[in-house]
Amino acid sequence: MHFFNFGRAAWRRGLLWALLAGPGVAVGQQVPGPAAAPPDSARLSQRQHRLSEVQVRAVGPERFAVGSRRFELDSAVLAQYRGGNLADVLQARTPLILKNYGPGQLATIALRGTSAQHTAVLWNGLNIMLPTLGQNDFALLPVGTNTRVSIQPGPAAALYGSGAVGGAVLLNNDPDWRPGSRGSAQFDAGSFGLLGGSLEARTTTPTVAVRVAASYREAQNNYSYVLREARGPVRYTLQNAALRHQWSISPDVAWRVGTAGEVTAAAWLTDADREIQSGVNVAGSEARERDQSRRLVLGYRHLAARQQWAVRGAWFEDIINYRDRGTPSNSRVRTTQAQAEHTSALGARGSLRLGAEAQHFAALVGGYGSETITENRAAAFALLRYDPRPGLRLSANLRQAVLPAGLAPLTPTVGLEWDLLPAPIDTLTNSPTHQLTAKASAARSYRAPTLNERYWLPGGNPSLRPESGFGSEAGLRHRLSWGRRTTLETELTAFRQDVDDWVQWLPTAGTGIWSPRNLRQVRSQGLEASTALRRRQGHYTGSAQMAYHFTDTRKTQGSTADSDPVGVQLAFVPQHQASFATDHRWRDWLVSGTFVFTSFRYTSASGTDFLPGTGLLGATVGRTLHGPAGTSLLVLVQAANLLNQAYDSYPGRPAPPRTVGGSLRLSWN
Amino acid sequence: MKKQFVPFLAGLALLAACDPKAAEIVPVPEPAPTTGVFVLSEGRFGAGDGAVSIFDKASKTLNVDAFGSANGGAKLGDVVQSMGVQGNRGYIVVNASNKIEVVTLPDFKTAGTINGLDQPRYFTSTSATRGYVTEWRGPFTGYLPGVLSILDLSTNAVIRSVPVGRNPEQLLALGGKIYVPNSLDNTVTIVDEASAAVSSTVTLSDGPSSMVADKDGNVWVLCSGFVTYLSTPPFTATRVSNGALIRFSPNSPATQFKLTFPATGGPSKLRINPAKDQLYYAFGGAEYQMSTAATALPTTPFIRRSFSGFAIDPRDNTVFAAVAPSFSTNGRFIRYQATGVAIDSFEVKVGPNGFVFY
Repeated sequence: MHFFNFGRAAWRRGLLWALLAGPGVAVGQQVPGPAAAPPDSARLSQRQHRLSEVQVRAVGPERFAVGSRRFELDSAVLAQYRGGNLADVLQARTPLILKNYGPGQLATIALRGTSAQHTAVLWNGLNIMLPTLGQNDFALLPVGTNTRVSIQPGPAAALYGSGAVGGAVLLNNDPDWRPGSRGSAQFDAGSFGLLGGSLEARTTTPTVAVRVAASYREAQNNYSYVLREARGPVRYTLQNAALRHQWSISPDVAWRVGTAGEVTAAAWLTDADREIQSGVNVAGSEARERDQSRRLVLGYRHLAARQQWAVRGAWFEDIINYRDRGTPSNSRVRTTQAQAEHTSALGARGSLRLGAEAQHFAALVGGYGSETITENRAAAFALLRYDPRPGLRLSANLRQAVLPAGLAPLTPTVGLEWDLLPAPIDTLTNSPTHQLTAKASAARSYRAPTLNERYWLPGGNPSLRPESGFGSEAGLRHRLSWGRRTTLETELTAFRQDVDDWVQWLPTAGTGIWSPRNLRQVRSQGLEASTALRRRQGHYTGSAQMAYHFTDTRKTQGSTADSDPVGVQLAFVPQHQASFATDHRWRDWLVSGTFVFTSFRYTSASGTDFLPGTGLLGATVGRTLHGPAGTSLLVLVQAANLLNQAYDSYPGRPAPPRTVGGSLRLSWN
Repeated sequence: MKKQFVPFLAGLALLAACDPKAAEIVPVPEPAPTTGVFVLSEGRFGAGDGAVSIFDKASKTLNVDAFGSANGGAKLGDVVQSMGVQGNRGYIVVNASNKIEVVTLPDFKTAGTINGLDQPRYFTSTSATRGYVTEWRGPFTGYLPGVLSILDLSTNAVIRSVPVGRNPEQLLALGGKIYVPNSLDNTVTIVDEASAAVSSTVTLSDGPSSMVADKDGNVWVLCSGFVTYLSTPPFTATRVSNGALIRFSPNSPATQFKLTFPATGGPSKLRINPAKDQLYYAFGGAEYQMSTAATALPTTPFIRRSFSGFAIDPRDNTVFAAVAPSFSTNGRFIRYQATGVAIDSFEVKVGPNGFVFY
């Protein structure tokens, strides 16, 4: 159905007003709650927490990111891509820029033209960026694990701490307090040796909610491609590109303690064994990589009417073991994190959150030598939300991090939303009604140097400064409704993001040893436009969504040691990305189509060599068959690259031709 | 309402037509045989975009990808390491693609491919039918003794492989012998051309990597020395052995004249001028020039700059020097007068590392 929640379109109107404009705008507002939670497509960013007669909502951090663009992958969309990874769904459904080495291979994001290290990835509020590399491989994040995936591009993400320069990707498992047990088991098969399966099961009592999600996937990726050689075009089969296995298991439990307390515990274990595809002109590579992550988080949250507080502790272990014929290159990082925050109401119109967090890293990495390297980081923050009147919402945040090399830049964030045309009170009319909101936000952001940048042997630079960013965005959000059945929501955002002290690895004069240094300034600016039409009538629900991103990212200034030219569009940042998706459900049928266009992108800093533009078409057809005792069977057929375009996803890495896959999902209630 | 999507789709079609024009396929007239310089660019590892550019000295024009433009856009391969010339044939050693692309000169049209190689490095030949290529063996974490492969240039096939030391580099053919410097050892393997067997192995200093013959028929070997890194903080680099420049006569390789470099760096890329009486090498971020009659290493650089490739044009003594600032940016080459005064410079592909004059 809906796959993006652009802004707040899917919010129920009444709830929208209760949340944003109602007099009880302060935290912990008490709303007489409907018995059932809203449907998935209307899931709020504020979690439903049903106490006996009233609901007290936990306040999510996004509440303090006023005035910024934010979008959410709807659970109906996540369900369609449940066998895949986060890179798959983002590439098929959004105009976001991902740099991808092939199916199942390394995939990194470039939000608003920034680098892979400039997008923070948070799982249940905790940063899960790999401390060694300072980035995430989106191919290692299976979609089915999380119930909610949202993307917060731009400056307001700075409230999430280090790395959120271009934005943040937020993964969450929210407890589902609807009583009873339900679940589903799915089997997937597809082109080029793709096999997979997944399971999701929940059970909920009035005090305990348990969920387990697990998935398995393997793929041979032995598709053919044509290489133009001197003797003519020659067809080869891709070698050493198999996904040997990819497991993910994530159990979580929520337990209500007393009338206001909630204990949550969650784990996420992933294990992937991949052959690492080298460039197709490189002969005889046998590279393999084993990626394992173990993530545990334990939290307690106290929700009262006028104040909330929460503490969380987490322990992560990330293992990357790489080998290519020779001695393996192994790394293991253990991260211990603690967070505490307190949120209180400021009168009837404001709320203030104060908090602190600390991280401890212990890294045993072949590249750092034989000893375990440890590093500590800490940060304190104050987040303020204030709505002076119903149609005007403001936020102002401040965050200060302490890093081993000293203080990180102080990162303030400010945001504003102003309803130029407020929503009409009468929502029953069928004549078109308009709603128009202006929004703006600005923030400073930073990225702490990664462990590799500080400790790599040789070349690691312990005196590296954090990168600092300054970003701003402004735009308009328009919503046109015809009664409650049809809406057209359009959003236009212009942004600018400057990054200073951008880190670049370059050979040191004299020794030739590659070393990271704070060398350059980069400016990214652009436009993001999106429009989504949704209709619901009788047994039909449908939507059509289009989005276009213009991203202009250039180095604006650099030191003499930095040879990359100034003023050239950065490599692997296409200037134009556009996506179109349409989803239709009628009775038991489901039909979806997606088209993503990516313009050419340079493959080096010189701006001479490039990968040509691509247009990728995908489609899904599904039918649900109802069985006895609340069971149902969903039959899903999915195809990607329907136009069978031959292209390289990265130089020397041919992308898959047309692929077809099928899924069977058995659900029970 | 859906009609408003139509202009959007039309816009997409327009954007799709926006790719920059592919510049490399435009045919450039081949230069006269006496004015061409082939510039080798490694390309980025994994991208398969190594190239040989043809620079025409007369017109100062550059055909950036000579192989691609002569062969229907075919890619040369991954990591263009070196190139040798025999008659009107060029032999381009493509290291990571494990092959040598054979082309006719000067048009660069394909004349076959030599396969069956593993980590090929440098090529030389002694006749129209006999070629030699050094190859490494083993992974980078534990190299094994390499080989000198003997090639039949009439069939483009490997005849046999002679075991040599670890990481054999820039070989030299002289007086019926092939001299192979084993850069991860301290030896030069001498292979007899007629018997295709090792005749002797000479011990020098650590890291022999490049060699030349001077006007008197002596062999000069540049040894880079070895460096290790401390495995605990602060990870300082420690020089295990210093570099050395060694001269010996082919008649008595064990009798060596040796100049030792200071521990401040490792020398590399030994070259000689067309008159074969001036040596050139890179050391400590600069290029040095030294007479073959000198008895001490020079202390003042010839050009105070670090180059990724260096060669002297035998036709007019012009110096060609390559600059590869990083592997994310195109490289350049700079022309210098024989005195070391810069003339001009041109942009080539990523990672230029050498020049061939034809």
